[in-house]
Amino acid sequence: MFEPFTDVVPSFFGWLNQGPLTLTIFLHTVIVLPMIWIYFQEKKRLENEN
Amino acid sequence: MANKSVWSDNRFWQRSATWVTGFASILLIWLTFDTSAQIAMGNDEDLKNGVTKRVPGPTVINYKITYEMDAKRGHEVPVIGGKEKFFGRDDWSEEEARALLHLGKLGSQAKNCMDCHTLLGNGAYYAPDLTKAWLDPAWGPDGAMQALTGKNTKEEAMAEFLQHPDQFPTHARMMPDLGITAEEAKGLVAFLKHMSSIDTNGFPRNFGRMQGAINGK
Repeated sequence: MFEPFTDVVPSFFGWLNQGPLTLTIFLHTVIVLPMIWIYFQEKKRLENEN
Repeated sequence: MANKSVWSDNRFWQRSATWVTGFASILLIWLTFDTSAQIAMGNDEDLKNGVTKRVPGPTVINYKITYEMDAKRGHEVPVIGGKEKFFGRDDWSEEEARALLHLGKLGSQAKNCMDCHTLLGNGAYYAPDLTKAWLDPAWGPDGAMQALTGKNTKEEAMAEFLQHPDQFPTHARMMPDLGITAEEAKGLVAFLKHMSSIDTNGFPRNFGRMQGAINGK
């Protein structure tokens, strides 16, 4: 599932490129989680406006 | 008034898009600097001190380059060994080597090698991939090309072939005579030798599976 890191120079982008799972987890963390957070903030705002 | 859905609310999409665009921009700027550092060319001192660089300095033409399987990384990597004569010399200075590589690079652009060949992933596959051409066993002591061109070294055989490719027919598509001069050919061979020493993370894939290309000393 997780590939060992074997790139020549240790790098964040090298880690991102090791396999499909690292990229998937990373993208979900930085896109989906903040969007869930924004969703609930906006939901609260709309409820307050009503 | 009925409850408005968040999904049809403009502000939600605006904020999400702003976040994703902003974050991606920061990531791409970071990636640019990370890449610049990794592809920075080494120098003569690095080669003398055995410092491994992804892109070695131009004086790498003074050294023997082999292609060896790296079990940990799962593909072949170019390994810079001891001194090796290149056109009869193994003491090319940094300036001379850089000038020769520059001549070869300009030559490769002037003759448009990429019209048919691939260099470091750019170009065509009408003719063989040249990224690791220097390591191709066909040009080595056991290959056919030295006998075909009547030369005793890899670099001389390559230079001879480049000047008169139409005179050395192989089983592959024939390369046309591009009017490459002796000096240009020398530069092009230096350019190819340097290119083969670049660590390309195993690109082109399976090149090392060619007969004798792995550990082909």
